[in-house]
Amino acid sequence: MNTPGTENVYLPKLAVLERVVEDIPDVKTFYWRFEDPAAQALFKRFRPGQFAQISVFGAGEFPASLPPSPTEQETFFTIRQVGSCTSALHHLKVRDKFGVRGPYGNGFPMEDYHGMNLVFVAGGIGLIPLRSCIVYALEHRSHYGRIQVFYGAKTPGELMYRPDLRQWEKSGGMECHLTVDRAANGWNGSVGVVGSLFKKKGVEVPVDNTIAFVCGPPVMFRFVIKDLLALGFQERHIVSTLERYMKCGVGKCGHCCIGVAYICVDGPVFTYEQIKKLGEDI
Amino acid sequence: MKARIVSLADVLKIVDLLRSRGYEVLAPFCGRGRDTCFDTVTDANRPQVQVHLPNPYYPPKRFVFPHIERLMAVRGGANGEMKIEPAYEQPRRAIFGIRSCDVAGLWHLDRFYLGRDFRDVYYEKRRNNLFLVNVVCTDPARDIGEDCFCLCADTGPAARDHFDLQLMDLGEGEFMAVAGTPAGEELFSEPIFRKATGAHLERRRAILAAVRKHFRTPPSWFSATVRYVSQGTILDKTWEEIGNRCLECGGCTYVCPACTCFTVSDRQVGPQEVERVRIWDSCGLGGFTRMAGGFNPRRAVHDRRNRRFFRKLAHYFIQRELAMACVGCGRCAAVCHGDIGMPSVVEMIRRAAPQEASK
Repeated sequence: MNTPGTENVYLPKLAVLERVVEDIPDVKTFYWRFEDPAAQALFKRFRPGQFAQISVFGAGEFPASLPPSPTEQETFFTIRQVGSCTSALHHLKVRDKFGVRGPYGNGFPMEDYHGMNLVFVAGGIGLIPLRSCIVYALEHRSHYGRIQVFYGAKTPGELMYRPDLRQWEKSGGMECHLTVDRAANGWNGSVGVVGSLFKKKGVEVPVDNTIAFVCGPPVMFRFVIKDLLALGFQERHIVSTLERYMKCGVGKCGHCCIGVAYICVDGPVFTYEQIKKLGEDI
Repeated sequence: MKARIVSLADVLKIVDLLRSRGYEVLAPFCGRGRDTCFDTVTDANRPQVQVHLPNPYYPPKRFVFPHIERLMAVRGGANGEMKIEPAYEQPRRAIFGIRSCDVAGLWHLDRFYLGRDFRDVYYEKRRNNLFLVNVVCTDPARDIGEDCFCLCADTGPAARDHFDLQLMDLGEGEFMAVAGTPAGEELFSEPIFRKATGAHLERRRAILAAVRKHFRTPPSWFSATVRYVSQGTILDKTWEEIGNRCLECGGCTYVCPACTCFTVSDRQVGPQEVERVRIWDSCGLGGFTRMAGGFNPRRAVHDRRNRRFFRKLAHYFIQRELAMACVGCGRCAAVCHGDIGMPSVVEMIRRAAPQEASK
């Protein structure tokens, strides 16, 4: 966390792009490192659920969640090409420079969840911010009870982090349930919305003493919340990370303010109980 | 309170004193008709500086938070090198003739940009050297506009704090000067200032009591509106009526001394050089919350109107920022083509309240 002081919070630090991996169509993972090793060490203190501001000079700056867990060696972003800035990032080549500042936001209070079961529910690229928590939880496996991942995408080709998912499941530390809206050749898994996985045969979602992490597109979010509440989850045990257009990341530019909360400084992580009290639809 | 008296003939000498101390002095001037503006005082325009005039629509907040401000330059080198250089400006400036509402506006910006977890260094550098000479609005004909409502916002007509020097016209060719800071008090060593007497203080009190009666906007129902806004009891229908009258020009935010939002943009300024600037932005504009890909969580005009007034009046933000984000300058009321400035909206919400209660 940056400390209050005289430093310029708007000033990014230079980062070098080390390698790029294409995950699914239009989504790539960018492995990078700060030019300055001291900046790298400082940045590595981030918490799961925090975010950073990425600058592609000439195109602009945009917020992006941090998919790596702080326990991992490498720092990377997973970005979908959707607007002008993200497209500019997608066009960068290895060894090109760009700017990063952060980490910002509150992050998930993973220590508060010690001794609890963790249920991750993700849709599409909503798995990107949750990846950090999943890896973190597996790394600190003894602190948590059961760990389950429910993940859905439109098609099998749009499931994120397939190698990671396979590896996590193989590690034996967690259950992984995947589903797609439309099956394609070679898919013999579930078909249907992600909420349908809760009722799948052989699946038993722990409700007591469980935290549910939900992240995905707005429609999926609404339905999953309904399903979780029907299962008996308490509103304060459902957490999510919200996204908004941001220009500053430090509570000044005003773009991400929903109701009473600045997503960048008061969030992006909120419980469903808090989300309902924001005073504005999300 | 350190009070001095300065004569009408000498009052503009304060501008000269500040200029001789190395300040760039910004003072109000008359344009055509109602048009007034703050501008830098030079030897040539010095005689035209006004003490009594309608408050300029373009607020003095731009001297600490410019309309467009350079944040940094990024320069590329031959072999892939890159350098980020912040662009700081810390002019030594004084604003002569800033009204009490705008003093409160600057104080609001101070709390917002310099408070909480992060400090805004660009704002801080401009603010640190800023000297404020507040002029109390006492002339009903020239100072007090039809839309002024500082009385309701509790910011005027005489600011209680946050100025360096305050001037008030006592009539009979005399002004009372009050120092708010040691920097302001330092000016009192100049021979144009003489001691104030008890009679002067009595005149000040009498004028302030009388001037309150000249505000044309009736006391607005701020406290009730704050309650309705905070509790979320205002019907969508009311917001839709307000939203229907919004032309989405963003004017209310641009003239508002307490609005803080900005957007950031990169622009190419040379073959290997990019400049990052920040520009005033408005929550009333459609693109304010639009995200990459086109999803816009606040698409409807009335949602954005709701947003603006919620941000300014909700109890939560008043607690967080110690005052509501409205200083009663009346600019939004004066510039709005749809007549949905702050006083009108407060009135519309008040009128709709009985319907909502009977629902």
